Amino acid sequence: MIDLVFWAPVMTGGALAGASSGVLGTFIVGMRIPFLGVCVAHAALAGAVFGGLAGLEGQQLLLPALAGAVLTALALGLLNPQRAHLDDNTVLSFLFSATMGLAFLGIGLYAIMGRSDNDVRSLLWGSLNFCRWRDVRLMLAASTALAIYVVLFFKELRAILFSRADAEASGIRATAVWTGFLILTAATLTVNFQTVGGLMIYSLICNPAAAAFQLTRGCGPVLALAAVFGAASGLGGFLIAAGTDLPSGAVIVLVSSALLGVAAMIGHRGRR
Amino acid sequence: MTRAAVEVRSLVVRAGHRWMLDIEHLRVDLGSVVALMGPNGAGKTTLLRACLGLARPARGSCTVLGVDVGGLHGPGLASLRRRIGYVPQLLPVRSELPLTVREVAAIGRTAHAGLFHALTGEDWRVVNGWLERLELTALADRAFSQVSGGEQRKAIIARAMAQDPELLLLDEPTANLDLGWRERIVDTVQSLHTQTRISVLLVCHELEVLPPACRKVILLEGGRVSASGSPETVFTTARVSQLYGAGLRAVHEGGRHAVVPGGSAHD
Repeated sequence: MIDLVFWAPVMTGGALAGASSGVLGTFIVGMRIPFLGVCVAHAALAGAVFGGLAGLEGQQLLLPALAGAVLTALALGLLNPQRAHLDDNTVLSFLFSATMGLAFLGIGLYAIMGRSDNDVRSLLWGSLNFCRWRDVRLMLAASTALAIYVVLFFKELRAILFSRADAEASGIRATAVWTGFLILTAATLTVNFQTVGGLMIYSLICNPAAAAFQLTRGCGPVLALAAVFGAASGLGGFLIAAGTDLPSGAVIVLVSSALLGVAAMIGHRGRR
Repeated sequence: MTRAAVEVRSLVVRAGHRWMLDIEHLRVDLGSVVALMGPNGAGKTTLLRACLGLARPARGSCTVLGVDVGGLHGPGLASLRRRIGYVPQLLPVRSELPLTVREVAAIGRTAHAGLFHALTGEDWRVVNGWLERLELTALADRAFSQVSGGEQRKAIIARAMAQDPELLLLDEPTANLDLGWRERIVDTVQSLHTQTRISVLLVCHELEVLPPACRKVILLEGGRVSASGSPETVFTTARVSQLYGAGLRAVHEGGRHAVVPGGSAHD
């Protein structure tokens, strides 16, 4: 039997990370830019690495991580793909490789300078089991800001999800709304990232949203179901891991993948 | 003189060092249906993009609904775009797209409602009205990605019309559609014009796509206007042979037009 009081922040953090990633995933998967999650995560990692080299440590690393992620989000939002004659995924690939290169260059410098890189390495893999109420409060603040933004600009985001170029052509302030959304995405992923890690974020963005697409239609219902699936992956994965003594991160990823598999089968039957 | 929906003067649009458009003068009268035709790469889509402020002129002017597009930025440009319904050539069809047909049509009301305001009952009434007029009501709650190509085109036309536009820009609205759907789209454009007297600039490749309301064709070749006038005067058998090869002729009957085999350049 697990100690529910002790593990409450871990369970809350897992559920929050899953729910907010599910909401983000609806737009990210819907626009076929799943690389956005890992790109922003690596930008945050690069920021944290160089923050660490500058002498910051522990919770202070969140600030340079946030700066790295937000700068990348701004570059993505303000770059007009049509004018640049580049596909969104090509821009993401460039930013992903550049931020990953910077992050690993920085990690290499830790060794050269003879310093420990444990703090920043833990960001890559996350440390859900060490999530405390202080982390949960940050995640809650970012998730709430994201939820308010999505409610306020729901109709504009729905139009951008359909086509950013068409939204711009119909007089919607798509660049401003999309850039704001990307900045909040960066903030949400950065605070989630220190708990669940850069690699698990990817599955929590993609799988719950893709599962919701299989089972329902309409932007609002898909957003709600993706948030529920994300929260179920985070919470359910942790409970299964705690009950079986398996690594929680791996089980959360597998639960979200299983949810997608089951949803795909149900969706396929429903369409026949 | 009738007011112009679109008036272009000495317009040059470049992409890098290559010029895409070099048009001395072009005019679409308010309330008329004008077809923009020509071979691939002639600059038809670029002209539509210039009308929307998506392609910027290197020199000259493009005046749309009385406003010079080249001088507009930010809110001014967004305000003009709200007055233009645009049906693009390529539709965003992705299996992961969660939007229903009704939600796609509702995008047309989004800019009208403005930031921080949800769509009102009146907005949804307009959206549902256009879905009904375009016979899409039965499909309204189905996923956009799961209806046929022709139905998707009509949903995009519903989206454009829900904007309550003064000018409709249609970029190859029948591309990749079978004959039956092509005719339904032509009927839709014709009835939209009959019912609303909206100005329409229609980009197409085939004479068969021109609705009877279209009384002017502008032929673009290499970014320049090579001919302009009624479909009958622009598409003579000699020009059809020159454009598409010998042995073809144009047939003009009952307001519709077609290219058929069996002509010669001397007809």
